[in-house]
Amino acid sequence: MSELGALSLRFALVLAIFGIGTGIYAGISRNPQWTRVAERCLLVVAAFVGFSIAQLFYALATFDFQLVYVAQHSARSMSLAYRLAALWGGQAGSLLLWLFVLCLYSAVCVWTQRDRNRSLMPWVVAILLANSVFFLVLLCFVSDPFERLPAGHVLSDGNGLNPLLQHPVMMIHPLVLYAGLVGFAVPFAFAFAALMTGELGTNWFRTTRRSTLFAWFCLGVGILLGGRWAYEVLGWGGYWAWDPVENASFMPWLTATAYLHSVMIQEKRNMLRTWNLLLIGLTYTLCLFGTFLTRSGIVQSVHAFAQTPLFTSIFLGYVIANAGVFLIAMLARRGELHSPQRMDSMVSREASFLLNNWVFIAILMVVFWGTLFPVFSEAITGNRIAIGPKFFNTMAGPLALLLLLLAGIGPLIAWRRASMESLRRQFILPGAAGIATSAVLVVWVGKAGFYAVTAWSLCAFVVASIVQEYARAIRARTRRGEENALQALWVLLRKNQARYGGYIVHLSIVFILMGTAGSALNEERLENVAPGSEVTLNRYQLRYLTAEAIPEQHYGGAVARLALYRDEEPLTVMTPEKRMYWLEQQPASIPSVYSTWREDLYVILTAIESDGSATLKIYRNPLVNWIWIGGVTFVLGSVLILLPDPRVGHRTSAPAA
Amino acid sequence: MSKGTQLAGGATLIALLLGWYAMANLQDGSSFAYFQNLEDFQTQYQRDSSAMTGHLRVHGYVAMGSIDRDVPQMRVLFSVQNDPPHAGGEIGDLLPVVYGSLETPDLFKDGAEVVVEGRLAKPHAGAPMVFHADKVLAKCPSKFEAKTPQPTSL
Repeated sequence: MSELGALSLRFALVLAIFGIGTGIYAGISRNPQWTRVAERCLLVVAAFVGFSIAQLFYALATFDFQLVYVAQHSARSMSLAYRLAALWGGQAGSLLLWLFVLCLYSAVCVWTQRDRNRSLMPWVVAILLANSVFFLVLLCFVSDPFERLPAGHVLSDGNGLNPLLQHPVMMIHPLVLYAGLVGFAVPFAFAFAALMTGELGTNWFRTTRRSTLFAWFCLGVGILLGGRWAYEVLGWGGYWAWDPVENASFMPWLTATAYLHSVMIQEKRNMLRTWNLLLIGLTYTLCLFGTFLTRSGIVQSVHAFAQTPLFTSIFLGYVIANAGVFLIAMLARRGELHSPQRMDSMVSREASFLLNNWVFIAILMVVFWGTLFPVFSEAITGNRIAIGPKFFNTMAGPLALLLLLLAGIGPLIAWRRASMESLRRQFILPGAAGIATSAVLVVWVGKAGFYAVTAWSLCAFVVASIVQEYARAIRARTRRGEENALQALWVLLRKNQARYGGYIVHLSIVFILMGTAGSALNEERLENVAPGSEVTLNRYQLRYLTAEAIPEQHYGGAVARLALYRDEEPLTVMTPEKRMYWLEQQPASIPSVYSTWREDLYVILTAIESDGSATLKIYRNPLVNWIWIGGVTFVLGSVLILLPDPRVGHRTSAPAA
Repeated sequence: MSKGTQLAGGATLIALLLGWYAMANLQDGSSFAYFQNLEDFQTQYQRDSSAMTGHLRVHGYVAMGSIDRDVPQMRVLFSVQNDPPHAGGEIGDLLPVVYGSLETPDLFKDGAEVVVEGRLAKPHAGAPMVFHADKVLAKCPSKFEAKTPQPTSL
């Protein structure tokens, strides 16, 4: 059966190459019939790839251990859900998933644009298929998911999936992340098509507004899910370690967020045309580069798969070629990209957005160099080097604070040029809120230090500015007497969803940064306790009751039972585990967390010692829950922005794709 | 000044500021740390041990059977060797390590690949070399990609 999967990938490859040819021909000849041919090619390629991935799912579901991939990444003991999730547990499967998601996006794009943008579509199809071809080549010739064991070899069971990946969050985290990374192919393709046709107006990004937002939303959620998984599974008390592959997904999110802001300036003021094209090109390049970092293993990381030099050179070549073609197209059009408008004043919303873009790029530079410096260092000097989280925190922290400040300022200043009078009227309340908060905080939690206090004060400033924006808009509507406050809020959110949904996204970032700043007050303690005795951290007492053997089938080890008290008042029994996965011979420490909106108490069982005592690592993580509250808020705000625009019906060309 | 020059000037200024900020804040060695393998480390020690006073990082493998968890003193004693023990080569000179904590990583076990961070106890020639680690990083080279299955013939 699985031969069909491999075969359909080869069909898809041939057809995709043909589709690129027809797309280019249709683009040059401006022949609508050939555009249709190219579009249909793309749909059929997508169908073949869909069939192929279905084959691999089927092989995983039915224990087809003849396939090397199935044997390596699944085992009989795994439940069906995790067997299916094993598809993205290894290299070849992840590449197939990447390709499949790309095909899905491409197909949806072709379908929604079937009667629109006829001049752009041939180029869009050509570039999307060109990207597919690269992955098809990898899957057919370098990293084959349908590779079979030599004839005569029979395996009764497989290796199983890395136990750390057998977690509900890990089933969806890669999917969501890929939906984010791959999704930027659509705006990238339209930007490329705009360059090829010379239609450099606002159409290309208006058309792709929703897919860009959707990709950005998925990427953000994917990053947060990754943090959540690290916190719950990896057992080191944290959620973000500036690991190279975390950085790999964070970098495109930075440029994408910058793009979402700067594109508003182009929409309102017709400025920054070159910049926006550059940003979307850079974003997609970083998405590919991130995938490359994860899959090539050139940077040592917990995520990276070890890989062959062939794979590395092909992949790097593709990333560079893709970016190079885009840059050449930009250079060829440089005369037409000049923006007719100029900045009127540095005290204007567009100036604050521009500054925001600079800060995003600065953070990107920090993360980029921090991630890749070890690679360059080893290549040039031969010295291996490790760059710790301290580098990133010290460098990116102040920049993040600057962004927070701008998130409060931006909405308060007018487009074009803000008058002193309007500035005073807009800033007096939020500014006062920020200053009052910092005064209270210095007295109350001054020991948290300058950065944390500044961060929380800025959070208060931004929240106050958002509340003020909402209050003013609601008051303006209710004053007419036809709506009550709730109705007015609803109308606002529906009629100007980008703006008011955007504020909710800002609020989510405020929550997340507030939570991260809480780490300034983190406390930790390592203690060896005998059964019956107690360990104290801050207001908490943990009494070690007993340890029991874990009766599971796939792993063994010990679970400690710890009675948790706060100020001598019993709260709960905590059960951190020390596991050993038999099949994979891999140990794992599963933490136990007592979580409140104020702080988490997080316990890791480091070891059960030979004398029966337990060595415990205990963390008190203040405000950490706000990161996840921020995550939920992020989803709400983004969904609000992504909801179908109620005014769509009144427009001649609706945003879609 | 043309717009391009202004832009380049601004970018340079920001880059310089960031660079200065990095220099000013990141000089304590915990942000950037080079590491050596044990053999290079030992060679350097024999040549000029007096220079080896700062925060050091050494890469190696945990010698088989060397781990001793000293619970009352809250420390772990073990030895590091240059080559992986499973490779079957010569063991070579061992580096005794005293790790001042019981908090060992999950992957820390006999034969594990480790990087130990810390200081040399007596950095002068002739004295037995003891490494006092304040941090131990362990890793599994194929953490996420499982090894090729060993096929069993019928």
